[in-house]
Amino acid sequence: MLTDGRINLLERAPLLKRVLKARAFQPVVMLLTLFVFTLAILTGIAGTPAGSRNFGIIFVWIVWWALLIVVLVPFFGRLWCTVCPIPAPGEWLQRRAIVQRRPGKLWTRGLRWPHRLKNMWLQNIGFLGVAVFSTIILTRPSVTAWLLLSFLLVGVVLSALYKNRVFCRYVCPVGGFIGLYSLLSPVELRVADPDACADHKTKDCITGNEYGYGCPWMVFPGSLTRNAYCGMCFECLKTCPKNNIVLNLRPFGSDLMVAKERRLDEAYKAFIMLGCALLYSAVLLGPWGWLKSWANMDTLPHWALYATGFVTFNLVLLPGLFGLVVWLIRRVTRQQHPFHQMFVDYAYTLIPLGLAAWIAFSFGFVLVNGSYALAVLSDPFGWGWNLFGTAGTPWTPLGTSLIPFLQVGVLTAGLLFALNTAYKIARQQVVNHRPAFLATLPVAGFVVVVTLGFLRLYLG
Amino acid sequence: MKNRTELLALFTVGLILLGVPVAALGYQHWLRPATAHARIIDIEARIPEDGGFGPDAVTVPMGEPVTLRFASMDVTHGIAIGPGLDIDLGHVDPGKVEEITLTFDQPGTYTYYCTTWCSPDHWRMRGTIQVIDPDNPAFVLPAQSDLVIERLIQEGVDIDAVHGADQEHGETLAFARPPSAEQGAALVDTLVIPTELTDREWGRSHTPMQAVELLAAHNPQSTEADLRDVAAYLWTQDASLETLLEAEALYNQNCAACHGQYGGGDGPAADTTAEKPVAFADPGYMFEMRSDVLYAKIRRGGMGTDMPNFGTLFTQEETWALVEYLWTLPVAAP
Repeated sequence: MLTDGRINLLERAPLLKRVLKARAFQPVVMLLTLFVFTLAILTGIAGTPAGSRNFGIIFVWIVWWALLIVVLVPFFGRLWCTVCPIPAPGEWLQRRAIVQRRPGKLWTRGLRWPHRLKNMWLQNIGFLGVAVFSTIILTRPSVTAWLLLSFLLVGVVLSALYKNRVFCRYVCPVGGFIGLYSLLSPVELRVADPDACADHKTKDCITGNEYGYGCPWMVFPGSLTRNAYCGMCFECLKTCPKNNIVLNLRPFGSDLMVAKERRLDEAYKAFIMLGCALLYSAVLLGPWGWLKSWANMDTLPHWALYATGFVTFNLVLLPGLFGLVVWLIRRVTRQQHPFHQMFVDYAYTLIPLGLAAWIAFSFGFVLVNGSYALAVLSDPFGWGWNLFGTAGTPWTPLGTSLIPFLQVGVLTAGLLFALNTAYKIARQQVVNHRPAFLATLPVAGFVVVVTLGFLRLYLG
Repeated sequence: MKNRTELLALFTVGLILLGVPVAALGYQHWLRPATAHARIIDIEARIPEDGGFGPDAVTVPMGEPVTLRFASMDVTHGIAIGPGLDIDLGHVDPGKVEEITLTFDQPGTYTYYCTTWCSPDHWRMRGTIQVIDPDNPAFVLPAQSDLVIERLIQEGVDIDAVHGADQEHGETLAFARPPSAEQGAALVDTLVIPTELTDREWGRSHTPMQAVELLAAHNPQSTEADLRDVAAYLWTQDASLETLLEAEALYNQNCAACHGQYGGGDGPAADTTAEKPVAFADPGYMFEMRSDVLYAKIRRGGMGTDMPNFGTLFTQEETWALVEYLWTLPVAAP
């Protein structure tokens, strides 16, 4: 049963339920984030090109990133998607309303999203596309601003063409990895009784009613078994006439064991995220100055080589090496499961390690550069303002002696989580302990080597 | 009620998407300058390869306070304004702004320039402040004549030529030991000192080796090394410690990158210049050099050598102080 070992937060905290059911909840927070987002774009375009003194760079790549990867994703899954301002203008135009439930059809061409693209591949490609330019995006405010603006415009255009949040579900490069890592989070939106949904004729959560819109993420809560594609907009909480929606607190990583929904596009997302964390660590924290120069586009041929290597590593080399691991498992355990299925299944082992690697990587620069936030809060454009009297705050790296311990701790936790996941996946394929243990060994070797690689980069 | 909520939300969206940009840009570009007690001029500093100062020329009215705000857009720059204003804003780190409010009391031309080695073309990083008389904006102060340079030209001295070295072989004089001003100070009272050598103008227009020849004619019993010590003393005795310290600061800011902190011709940018920078610490070079030629080279720059002109940055007094500081580099000061 879904409710086994879970705590229904809405039952425990009625005030939370009231807040989440209120139509104004999501727009109010979105307006707040839209303000920050607008300021980030504005400062990126009009403010100082010095990244460390520009609100856009500091608040997007330090403050927001830290909040997202260290707090929101691991503990609240897709909660960022609840408040993300990027799809807001498109959605508000579609609904022709910001707060209220406006009756009638959505204002959109209502085209069908191509079936072939109903997966994470576009998000994978989008993330890699952004990632190969990341050194430039992360340091140049104007590039960050135009990137954010382009996301917003693509969101508006797709909202005009397609119903609901096609951008969030199938296109947003950030939404892809948030969805993947939300499988780990200890918070889930589900239904209390799936049978009640199955028997329910009107399916208000899909069609909408006077209290709310049909699910913008095109998900039927009644069959929801994982967090990956639930955007936590809480429209279903508002529309469900049977009061069947619950928000559960649950053990970390519960969704990793939902075998029937594992897919190759998600598996590749896991490879890409792990590979990018490894490559970013090498480029930004490693001792190879030439690599940083190449990534920073010192010359076009150098960058082309870097980009080719980057993409090849993520799409070919890392999955290829993992393929060898799966081949080894099949040799060791003489399993009859299809290679493709085993490859996809075991790839989910990399999800906890990947998230741990991103958190560890983020500690390295978030704590060191976090103090810039105070300065740019008072002088967001780098124009010599001092709005809150903090413009002169000197750069003060925080917890530099603590960072290696945090990184080792997080990576170790991620490694243990990954090993445990590998064993559980193995037990799903072979019931007995001994062959499952043997099947786990090659994966364990792989994740241990990767973890050692991270430790080598972080600890020098 | 619902419509009111919706209208409020719509108003808030408008406020965010339009109000924030209008408020921020309006404040920065209109309200702030309009309400400031002085006119604000924003000057962005980039390495010369990316454009240098922007704007690189500003015009300000005489008698009105003006605030110059320098913002570094890329790397750490150093900002100073001259000549004769004694304004040094120090380092401006990327994204930081340093400002100064000035009131110019007469028409003229000043230069703001970078004092930190920011790029290979660092020395090109300059901008001009043209101070005009609002009552007579067309009036431009005539360029101040420089009698020292004019006299050198009249004398037929090629200021751009190589000086101080054996021009035929491109080598400098080799001394067994560096001249010591300290020893010269001890010897000077025991020797006959020709009157020319006590004349400051003569000293500025002649080389120490010419002084040594003159001393030798009057003191045949002395060794050339002793006479070089005396010349070293005579060439360094006039400068006060305060002058030397100020000149040293100018040297470190503007000359050391190429000529080296101790005048060895081995500064961090020495390899990037068209001609190898002169080593002031080499007494063999300096003892064949004239002070007025050094002065002229500093103020005019060296044609084809990448030596910039500093005549727009330093006053004549500052330039002479710098020359006097240069004489302390090849000799031990008294």
